[in-house]
Amino acid sequence: MTVSKKKNVAVAAFTLLTLLFSCTDGRTIDGPGNLVPKTVDQDSSLPSIFANGAMLHSEAFGPENGTIVIALHGGPGGDYRYLLNAKDLATEGFRVVFYDQRGSGLSQRFPKKSYTSLGAGAADVMYDELHAVIAHYRKNPGQKVVLLGHSWGAILASGYAGKYPDDIQGLVLCEPGGLKWNDIEDYVKESRSFKLWSEILNDAAYMDQFISGKEDQHEILDYKMSMLASKNDITGEGVFDPSMSWRSGAVVMDALFDVGEKYNIDFSQGLQNYSGPVLFFYSERNKAYPDSWAQKITSSYYHPTIVKISGVGHDGIITNSNAWNNQTKPKIINLIEGL
Amino acid sequence: MKNIIYKAALPLLLILNTVNAQTINWGSASKEKHILNANIGAEYGVVFGLGYGYKLNNKLFPMTVGAGFSVPSGNNLLDDFKVKAGANVRWVKVSDFQFSTIVQGVFRRFENENAAIANFGLDMTGIVGYYRPKWFGGVEVGFDKAIVTHFRHTEHYKEIYPDVKNGWYEPATGGNFYYGIQAGYTFSRQDMYVKLGNIVSQDFKTKPLLPFYVQIGYNYKL
Repeated sequence: MTVSKKKNVAVAAFTLLTLLFSCTDGRTIDGPGNLVPKTVDQDSSLPSIFANGAMLHSEAFGPENGTIVIALHGGPGGDYRYLLNAKDLATEGFRVVFYDQRGSGLSQRFPKKSYTSLGAGAADVMYDELHAVIAHYRKNPGQKVVLLGHSWGAILASGYAGKYPDDIQGLVLCEPGGLKWNDIEDYVKESRSFKLWSEILNDAAYMDQFISGKEDQHEILDYKMSMLASKNDITGEGVFDPSMSWRSGAVVMDALFDVGEKYNIDFSQGLQNYSGPVLFFYSERNKAYPDSWAQKITSSYYHPTIVKISGVGHDGIITNSNAWNNQTKPKIINLIEGL
Repeated sequence: MKNIIYKAALPLLLILNTVNAQTINWGSASKEKHILNANIGAEYGVVFGLGYGYKLNNKLFPMTVGAGFSVPSGNNLLDDFKVKAGANVRWVKVSDFQFSTIVQGVFRRFENENAAIANFGLDMTGIVGYYRPKWFGGVEVGFDKAIVTHFRHTEHYKEIYPDVKNGWYEPATGGNFYYGIQAGYTFSRQDMYVKLGNIVSQDFKTKPLLPFYVQIGYNYKL
């Protein structure tokens, strides 16, 4: 290469790099509000409460003194947006409470070590948070409380019933993957057993060369998690009905899975002390949740009422308006009115 | 703005020339100048690649320049792809041991129901190998940096987050180190090779979803 050619190459490269780095509007992928919505501690316009040392994205509907129904979202790390059909229960005279668990949805974020440093006690943080949320919304000691948990939320509700059996009067559970950690792992593997050459798996892996985030870079890690396809042909999520969310909580999900695996957490512990009604839903179209799995998981509860919701997948038990109005909601109302 | 950057980047890709992640036998005595490459493997997904290289027989620093294109597996074959461009230079030769570097400009694209993401990056690899006329083996260490990235979100993602900000983002949105081994067999104007190794994020802690890479490749020289 001649001297003049080398000079031209250098000038071209310099010009290009100058263009590249001067035309980006200075946006960074970890900037709050750039790629994922801000959390309650970053955006004061969002409805929030303070519970157990965390600012939680939360709102409640219906009469303050009605029986409380607390909706617990899945994940871990999801948010309550997809559960908002349950707002209908407010018109029945119940107090319907929604909140994004810590580190999830639009609630405040915490470092991974704040969970993992507690060891098996990380689950207790989630129970104590729920305990604080109940205390926040309970206006009188006689006010009944029913937990409505979906997926991970149903696992959390079950664990809570084991720890605080007298604090709640009813359990409504939608497809908890399992209660003992081995069962949870088996369910996760079964429900995410995508083919090696599938679009969904390759999309998830391909993203890693575009964006990488460090351990507690919540904006980046949450965005990457949000980018994963919302459809799952195995569980039926997003296939038969859309399921909307606000923001994923990647760190809390990662942390709770790490802790669960390391300490083999058993969310059925103490459940024998809970003798209130249990309404257990599972879906017809979740291939990872056959009748045999539902039988296995429900064996941990005392006299559960087991209902299979037809025509829907994992989320559709609540998100599918038709299934919600005609199958799920009437059963929930029956349970609450029978308390 | 987007067009300016795309147009500005194009000359650089041409200046750099191109190289697929070229794994070649520096010990081969073949005089052919053109190298056609096909490969299959796993690197951030199951990928298929094609490449072309041109050999420059500089006595002091022999090199190849060329182009490579790869796509990951999936139903939508061309929504995600990667183009690499650069040069593979042999710097040092001591007996049968040789040291070479590959520097490549990268343009890659990703698309799913949520977003279309385009990125310009740089991939640099250093290889120390033992090269014989019929076979070779070596170790490689590299760094793949996603320098500047453009995000365009779909209506679906805007339903999730209406205020999402499209456009160019920098400084670098990502980077991964990789290290591994490679080995190959050379016969009558052809090479068969295999590479495998690990990938770790630039913080040396976080691992990608697929924390390893494997590539089986075939070169045909004309």
